[in-house]
Amino acid sequence: MSANTNTSKNLGKSYPRIDAADKVSGRIQYASDIYLPGMLMCKVLKSPKVHARIVRIDTSRAEQLPGVRAIITGKDVPDAYFGNGAVHDKRILARDKVRYMGEPIAAVAAVDEITAHEALELIDVTYTDLPAVTDPLDAMRPDAPLVHDNLPSYRGFAEGMGGNICTTLSNDRGDVDAAFAQADHIFEDTFRSQGINQGYLEAMACVANVDPSGRIHVWTSTQAPYQIRATLATVVDCPLSRLRIIPMEMGGGFGAKLRLCVEAYPVLLSMRTGKPVKLIATREETFTLSGFRLPTIVYLKTGVMQDGKIVAREAISIFDMGAHLGAGVQSGVSHTLGPYNIPNFRMRSYAVYTNKIWAGSYRASGVADVTFAVESHADIVARKLGMDPWEFRKRNAFQKGDLAIQGGTIPTNGLHETMDAIKTHMALPRKSEAGTGIGLAMCQWRSGSGPSTASVSIQEDGTVSLLTGSVDITGTDTVFAQIAAETLGIEVSQVVVAKRDTDLAPFTGPSGGSRITYSQGKAVQMATEAAKAQLVVLAAGLLDAQPQMLTCADGGVHVTDDPDKRVSLAQLARHSVATSGPIIGTASLSAMPFAPIFSTQAAEVKVDRETGNVRILRFAQAQDVGTAINPMAIEGQIDGGVVQGIGRAMSEEVVIQDGEILNPSLTTYLMPMAADVPTIENILVEVPSEDGPFGARAVAEPPGFGPPAAIANAIEDAVGVRLKTLPLSADKVLQALRGEAVAAANIDPELLQRLRR
Amino acid sequence: MSTKHVLSTTVNGEPYEVLVEPFCSLLDMLRDTLQLTGTKKGCDEGDCGACTVIIDNKTVTACMILALDVQDKAITTVEGLAQDRELHAVQAAFVEHGGVQCGFCTPGLIMSGVGLLRENPNPTEADVRFAIGGNLCRCTGYSRVVKAVLAAAEHTRG
Repeated sequence: MSANTNTSKNLGKSYPRIDAADKVSGRIQYASDIYLPGMLMCKVLKSPKVHARIVRIDTSRAEQLPGVRAIITGKDVPDAYFGNGAVHDKRILARDKVRYMGEPIAAVAAVDEITAHEALELIDVTYTDLPAVTDPLDAMRPDAPLVHDNLPSYRGFAEGMGGNICTTLSNDRGDVDAAFAQADHIFEDTFRSQGINQGYLEAMACVANVDPSGRIHVWTSTQAPYQIRATLATVVDCPLSRLRIIPMEMGGGFGAKLRLCVEAYPVLLSMRTGKPVKLIATREETFTLSGFRLPTIVYLKTGVMQDGKIVAREAISIFDMGAHLGAGVQSGVSHTLGPYNIPNFRMRSYAVYTNKIWAGSYRASGVADVTFAVESHADIVARKLGMDPWEFRKRNAFQKGDLAIQGGTIPTNGLHETMDAIKTHMALPRKSEAGTGIGLAMCQWRSGSGPSTASVSIQEDGTVSLLTGSVDITGTDTVFAQIAAETLGIEVSQVVVAKRDTDLAPFTGPSGGSRITYSQGKAVQMATEAAKAQLVVLAAGLLDAQPQMLTCADGGVHVTDDPDKRVSLAQLARHSVATSGPIIGTASLSAMPFAPIFSTQAAEVKVDRETGNVRILRFAQAQDVGTAINPMAIEGQIDGGVVQGIGRAMSEEVVIQDGEILNPSLTTYLMPMAADVPTIENILVEVPSEDGPFGARAVAEPPGFGPPAAIANAIEDAVGVRLKTLPLSADKVLQALRGEAVAAANIDPELLQRLRR
Repeated sequence: MSTKHVLSTTVNGEPYEVLVEPFCSLLDMLRDTLQLTGTKKGCDEGDCGACTVIIDNKTVTACMILALDVQDKAITTVEGLAQDRELHAVQAAFVEHGGVQCGFCTPGLIMSGVGLLRENPNPTEADVRFAIGGNLCRCTGYSRVVKAVLAAAEHTRG
């Protein structure tokens, strides 16, 4: 459903993805589809230990295996530290010790995959076990084993780090203690999320080939070609310019492919052998060679007045980072207020090392975990106050002009419209049948910013060639074509979006954080405007008119008041060759203004009291997407995000016991299948952003945030039990229904006091 | 010392005779030997459905079948669906209705959809959700995939 009423030819139109035919016919190429002559296959040896010193690595037996071409260990590669975040705490191959089970120790290149695999089994590694710490709360104890014993020597080490704590963040506003003292009621809850794998269908894959001149060509599945180029240059210790990254079609990433994952191994082995080297990760390796989300613990304390107005919030969040500082702390903690105007708050957050794989990114890392806490807590507070949960939220929800946590104020947005839309759509408030319930959650994110570039050239037939450096994940190339076509008044089919690599396209930020349509799309709009300005000047000369009297439309430029006085873009392009020079428009920007995106979600569930099984009957969501450039692409992205959120709520959990992942397989890591979910009911609210291309906002992240809280709230509405740990599995529901103790999330009071600082 | 065997089989109407190891899966044979890379490897353990192909009118996951077990059989992969350069109705519906995003699960989903429509030209939404119940998709949330298969059924019925 869309409220779009514009009359544009290109905006608000559900153009099929321009790459869809290539995809449905199986012809589009992913990195694993590349076969080069003489290509070797690469496998990585991984630590079977959770925490241990490496005493000795003996590769001699493996080297003698026929078909093995090269083996590298930590001592064979540059002694470089790099980081996923601010701290450079990570090596590409372990040297002195391993910090988690699955940490890469060696890599082999052989004539085929089976030989490479056999070689791994012939590498002898001697370890001395070290005491390990795998729970983030345990890791904060003064006597906990240290995951990094040389933390202060790392680049990026800063104030507030120490022991196993690798980041501390604080944010305060107003007088929180005075506000708590004046509050009519104070409520406290603690929540815990689980380990979550991003679940992309295409495991990491990469082919590297060093040519005779020494240039390194890397075909890979990545969201961030320029960013992994920089990391690779550090790891390989070569000039950035030696590396050429060719991002292939990407079979899903959701954040997992924002950082260097597997690329260094084929690159290093190709440098050693002079041959192309390919690595295709196994499904199991999507749990070891790229980071995923680890549990987050969130404590919330809220002071409210009798009328439901929130006056104070204390939020303490603990992010399990695994063995290396990863993603999610900053964005997670900034969402602990929810989309509410809270005048007094104190936020403390800690990122903590444990002996587990590093915490990677996943669709706005940390925010889904925090939203589960904030939006579950909102319902708990509302119910204890005897207020309707929708009314409680409405009373506290941001208004334009309220202070934003990110700084500045909240600009024009559709938050209240999304609330009103869901209220109407779900006919709230309403009493459900016995055993069924409805729950709400509200989500927020910012439209992603960061460096963005685009280049537009007008071809001699009047069509457009568009070049950007960003990887298309969600159909953004199609949206770019719509933006360029709309700007010039041509058909979408007249825009060719070039396939790019880091040699060809200008530097740009990664495809992540809901960034591409809003920021990169703005660059496309600006570059096309720049080309259009040149076309108009040329047309003015040919039509003997002032540029401001001209209109660009229908594949040409005409005098606004006299459409018969017209030149086509093809004529102008050919004319430009001999006069102004061929027409190229470029744009480059570093950041975009803050444009929030808000959504309201509603789940309707049925709970089986005999089994604890929860069935999602309906799931509806209303999101402010700004101007919907391509409603089908937007709804598709929202559908997928919501279903990922339903998986997070109901069935997904990476089970890690004493540092060992017990379910690194799709047999036991349970993502939703088609029969597990209903058709998602979408409402697109279109309140244009002030600065996005044609008023567009970002879309990607919020849909996945709300389902855990919406469903937990619906379960309480249905059967009166409250779960505060994820997933909301049938066994937990049943335990709660029977009045048995359910896994709790509590932080012991002494530690809590220490964390308040 | 080679332990390879000769395999004669038909893929997308073309006869092939190839040498394969006894432990080689149909999926690896299709991808590595015939370079029919449209069939995808998402898990190699029968869970994700990205390698779904049709063997003698039955949809199967190619990673779970030994190549030598398709001796003298007729296999259809995603590359074999289009006729006279015209997309199959299921493929066309995936394009038109947004059933494709990253595209990695798409060939498998399309094969499951084609398999369903061969058996049941008049499926309900529940039939479609059941038929694609072995295909994981992380991008679409299935809504538009289901819509596409239903639209293809309607189009095929005319």
